Amino acid sequence: MTFVEYKMLNPFQRFAYNFKKVLKSIPKSVGRFFVGIGKAIVKFFTGIGKGFKNYGTTFAKGDWATKLSYLIFGVGDLHKGKYYKGILFFITEVLYILYITLFGWQYISKFGTLGTVQTSMQKVNGIPKQVFGDNSMLILLYSVLTIVITVVVFAIYIANIKDAYKHQVMRENGEKPTSLRHDVKEFLDGKYHITLLSFPVLMIAVFNILPLIFMILIAFTNYDKQHMPPGTLFTWVGMDNFGSLFNLVEGAKKGKTFIELTGWTLLWAVLATFTNYILGMIVALMINKKGIKFKGLWRTLFVIAIAVPQFVSLLLMNQMLQVNGAINVLLTDISHLFGGTETIEIQFLNSTTFMARATVVIVNIWVGIPYTILSMSGILMNIPEDLYESARIDGATPVKTFTAITLPYMIFVTTPQLITTFVGNINNFNVIYLLTGGGPTTQDYYQAGRTDILVTWLFKLSMDTQDYGLAAAIGILVFIVCATISLIVYNNSKSMKDEEAFS
Amino acid sequence: MKKILAILLAGMMTATVFAGCGGGGNTESGGSGSDTQSSSDDGGAEVKDANLVDVSVFGDEDNISLKVWAPDKAVSLVKEQIEAFKAAYPEKTFTKIEVVAQGEGDAGTQLMNDASTAADVFSFASDQLNKLVDAKVIAPVAFAKAVTDMNSEACVTAGTLQDTLYAYPETNDNGYYLVYDKTVVSDEQAGKLEDVLAACKEAGKKFIFNCGNGFYGCTFAFTAGVKIDGLEEDGVTQKFTDYDEAEAVKTLQAFSKLMHEYKGTFTSLDNAQVASGFSTGTLGAGVDGSWNTNADQDALKDNFGAAKLPTINVDGTDKQLISLFGYKYIGVNAASQFPAAAQVLAYYLAGETCQQQRAEKLGWGPSNKNVQGMDVVTKSAVQQAIKQQSENACVQVNIAPTFWDPMGNLGNKLVADDTDPDDAAYFSKLLKDTVANVRDEG
Repeated sequence: MTFVEYKMLNPFQRFAYNFKKVLKSIPKSVGRFFVGIGKAIVKFFTGIGKGFKNYGTTFAKGDWATKLSYLIFGVGDLHKGKYYKGILFFITEVLYILYITLFGWQYISKFGTLGTVQTSMQKVNGIPKQVFGDNSMLILLYSVLTIVITVVVFAIYIANIKDAYKHQVMRENGEKPTSLRHDVKEFLDGKYHITLLSFPVLMIAVFNILPLIFMILIAFTNYDKQHMPPGTLFTWVGMDNFGSLFNLVEGAKKGKTFIELTGWTLLWAVLATFTNYILGMIVALMINKKGIKFKGLWRTLFVIAIAVPQFVSLLLMNQMLQVNGAINVLLTDISHLFGGTETIEIQFLNSTTFMARATVVIVNIWVGIPYTILSMSGILMNIPEDLYESARIDGATPVKTFTAITLPYMIFVTTPQLITTFVGNINNFNVIYLLTGGGPTTQDYYQAGRTDILVTWLFKLSMDTQDYGLAAAIGILVFIVCATISLIVYNNSKSMKDEEAFS
Repeated sequence: MKKILAILLAGMMTATVFAGCGGGGNTESGGSGSDTQSSSDDGGAEVKDANLVDVSVFGDEDNISLKVWAPDKAVSLVKEQIEAFKAAYPEKTFTKIEVVAQGEGDAGTQLMNDASTAADVFSFASDQLNKLVDAKVIAPVAFAKAVTDMNSEACVTAGTLQDTLYAYPETNDNGYYLVYDKTVVSDEQAGKLEDVLAACKEAGKKFIFNCGNGFYGCTFAFTAGVKIDGLEEDGVTQKFTDYDEAEAVKTLQAFSKLMHEYKGTFTSLDNAQVASGFSTGTLGAGVDGSWNTNADQDALKDNFGAAKLPTINVDGTDKQLISLFGYKYIGVNAASQFPAAAQVLAYYLAGETCQQQRAEKLGWGPSNKNVQGMDVVTKSAVQQAIKQQSENACVQVNIAPTFWDPMGNLGNKLVADDTDPDDAAYFSKLLKDTVANVRDEG
């Protein structure tokens, strides 16, 4: 369709046309997404292949010291006079061997079974004493640690070989290895990024990535209330936990709970994100309108709501919405003013699904829009005034100005923010857990109520019923959903495709 | 200079990564698990009297260092008791006995998180016992015979799993009962739920029962005849007694009918609202736990009334409400470095003298038979109400983790506005679903 043809359509046809275009573009972008993943995998494996090739050729070309470096770390460097590096490589190997023999082996050797020896009780002259057997959790934890350390040491091993060969080549060319002093200086200059980032990266590996691998692995075990270390062992069960989440046989509660809660979680995330976004934008526009007095006052009033910690407001809201809470009392008083005699006791959070869900969304609007107003006001004030001026000169109506200038600009700037808010809402633990606790309860779900979203269900499963395996599986699925949505939406957004649009 | 600053900033950034990453690994290493002995072979080691044991029980343990977990309210009293304990064994050196505040409700969970840094001796509520035994983190009682003789039968039975007594009974009072404002509800009216509600409605006051909490909500199932009966062989699936379904459904309907009839009077609210309701004068009666007794008494002063739970009329017969009733125990950490000393200390803290002190100073109902006969117990209306209710109760032990949610849901559904009390089929399905959910079937 040409531009002229497009201009001749009526607004409804234009909408239909645009809508169709968006829908059409989705499969393409999903396809692109998976092609990208495929390419990355291919790249990864060719990289490994190349590594193996280099490994072989280096060995063939290396002299005796380089060849010996394949067995004993650092020999090549020591032979070529790069003493400090050679010693460091050597120490690494010694430490690694010590670690494996003294600590790592007893765990990693049981990694396949996660332990076989049960804990038992012994009596020493009448006083009972526990004899601890294998602890599946520790085996899993320390095996992960050992695997990570092994990977790191392997990388050092490869670096050691490369370094040995590099120095061999340098010697052949008559060059001398650089001094320690020179290398240390280099770390404050050319390799400064390594100096800066090594510590943070190490810490992230230890405190984020290690536990993450551990948690992911738990999803493939039967770690639950029947298999609690140190008393009892747990073991690998493959995809069983995922299987029970997708088990849709009549009467299988976990599958039903998962599917229905996923539906509600997505609905909730959409509602929570867009009600806040749209209403926040409207309020921000109203405050920002020319001619509105006391702008500062209005903004401050909304920001005051942020000053109270969110969980406090939510707990207060929970109290206010009880049958004897402030809202029911207020409604009763109002009805008495008009001659009513009944006490009003609406069960906002405890009766029907619709009522509870609607209440949650409305309370979330109340809690959430101040944040939107804040960011929106900032963005609104940033829109270049000359755009509006030229629109006025061209005779654009206020509505036209809004749809043609304000809205595109806002969406352009806030798409990444919308994505984070959306993902944040999928995992919005506070609002659900503190406000309703998942209620109204139901007998149709496994350990969940009607307003529970996946994360609150996950929390209940791990804290109340110790279904750790199941909870970990849910966590992985939530991550997959969030990651897919974020990547697709972000890659299709204007802010990504056309960074320069408004600058 | 800029670079140093940048390094500092990077360091700070990683510090935030640390924040919130508490916890640590369990450090005891594995050993061989041979020589398993049945621990119920004899009555355990010898004791001297109701508080102390022969010093030989300590064996070669000396320079003893122990950690004790007690609930916040009891910490100062336990500290005094430990001083007395030290003085009672002058032959031994105690390097350090530390008392740390830890609620009884999740002491078990804390212990299971990391047994090596947990307390050697700890107070806990009876519902955690099976979890602790399953995880094998609690050591059986070393002086089983003496403890069995001294304490009331019910709490010893509840502390016994697979013929082994696993914990020292500490209290006999972990339950709920009826509290009422004597100016609203008379002592006679307190016997029947219908009368209690009628009296409250007449006075324009409310009645609180926390239906939505499984701890209280299970009352309806129990009263309907669906009682818990330990766990299945697998150690986690709840077993129920056989029940007459028609009768059970009728009872649930009777409850629901009453709740709907007295809508506006009967309210399902958190227990924290009971004491505050009494002090603002909006509440006529309520069902509250023994741990809130002091607050309720403070609110009502002389008008404080306490009784066992009332009866409910089902088809012309008055049925006693059956509650969940628990005990508190003192347990010994199986991973303790000083297992003998820990057992001796637990024996002392659960002994007669300490129970008497707790009854006097904290108002805790004792499990020791001698202390139960003392004035401090027999003359207290609350203690008597609790004692009577304990005779009409299911014991809070061997409870599956999946128990609480469905039972809370049962209570919620009975009181919910959109429930029709006359719809027998609905209640029949509700009951079946509740039992199935507790048993985690499907």
